[in-house]
Amino acid sequence: MFEHDDDMLTDVTARVAASLKAAVRLDPALDARVMAQVATLPAHRPGGPLGRAWTWLRRPRTVALSPLAGLAAAAGVAAIVFVAARFGSTAATPPAGGDRTPVEFLLVAPRAASVMLVGDFNDWTASATPLHTAAAGGLWAVTVPLAPGRYRYAFVVDGKRWQPDPSAPPAPDDEFGSPSSVVTVGGSL
Amino acid sequence: MTALRTAALAAALAGLLAAHAAAQDPRLERLDPDTRAAVAALVDSARQSGVPAEALIDRALEGAAKQAPEPRIVAAVTTLLGNLREARAALGASTTAPELQAGASAIHLGVPAAALTRLRAVRPRQPLTIALSVMADLTARGVPADSAAAAVLALAGSLRDDQFLAFRRNVERDIELGAPAAAAASSSVRLGAGAFTTDAGSSGSARPLRRP
Repeated sequence: MFEHDDDMLTDVTARVAASLKAAVRLDPALDARVMAQVATLPAHRPGGPLGRAWTWLRRPRTVALSPLAGLAAAAGVAAIVFVAARFGSTAATPPAGGDRTPVEFLLVAPRAASVMLVGDFNDWTASATPLHTAAAGGLWAVTVPLAPGRYRYAFVVDGKRWQPDPSAPPAPDDEFGSPSSVVTVGGSL
Repeated sequence: MTALRTAALAAALAGLLAAHAAAQDPRLERLDPDTRAAVAALVDSARQSGVPAEALIDRALEGAAKQAPEPRIVAAVTTLLGNLREARAALGASTTAPELQAGASAIHLGVPAAALTRLRAVRPRQPLTIALSVMADLTARGVPADSAAAAVLALAGSLRDDQFLAFRRNVERDIELGAPAAAAASSSVRLGAGAFTTDAGSSGSARPLRRP
């Protein structure tokens, strides 16, 4: 009984397999009929220019780029970042606002042809803050608005001679060979 | 795909370089390359530990302006960074940059860090920049660091900032007249807060002008 059932199952399996293996013959006009049906369907397009732009932005695409072009683009990005960092930095700029106190710096130097003020407030740039002499006796003066803080400074006389402020507190350390002075600007001066 | 991968790699590399250039202060370009690298590393370290880096840059620029040799600039910036860190530890994490700079100057001159902590305790809600600066200035004028700290602490509860500057001027004048520095400080303390007026506060030629 079991042998008979097994024979019958084998026969059915063989016939099903033969049916599945047989090539399917399609009507040669099937493609044309399908495409004609598709053409009659309403187009699915996003409405308006914004929708089209969104679709364009989302559509994946392959970009072919030579290594040279990639390096050029990267260099452009790096240049933009560098320029933004360089010219967007406010580190060298004294803080703006109403909390700055005008501080007058004076030096008596009767024989000097020029006197410059250099210090923490102007990044130690010798040409940034010249003193002016208006009175006889060689009194040189300049007024600089300073935010509260403690600043080291010195004078450069005739473009070469460094001189601390003779009547201001000396800077605590003189590790660079020419002494500086200190001015402290506080909130309740 | 290989070209695209190469371009992406190049862009990432360039981005890293750009980020590094952006992180480095352009003013440091005045330094020679070796000094610049060493100072930039110290500035980075300061920023990471929350210490104001501007003071370090200023000190390096001062050295460059005075044409100091590289080791001296790096040593000065390194020392300043250590002093700033010590000042912050003594004064607390919320200390302002001017307070830290003044505290670092005081510590550099030998004022004990514990004196800074005590000053913060005496004036918990007032700015300490002027008091710390007076501590440092008196020490720079020759007052022993312990005496300068004791004098400022003795007056910290009663003097305003402008009176502190007047006190300093008083001590400086006594020193110029020949008094021993420590004695000048202690005798000025004995005068008390009422002896120090705002008009005598400005010392040296750098004088804050009165606002109109």
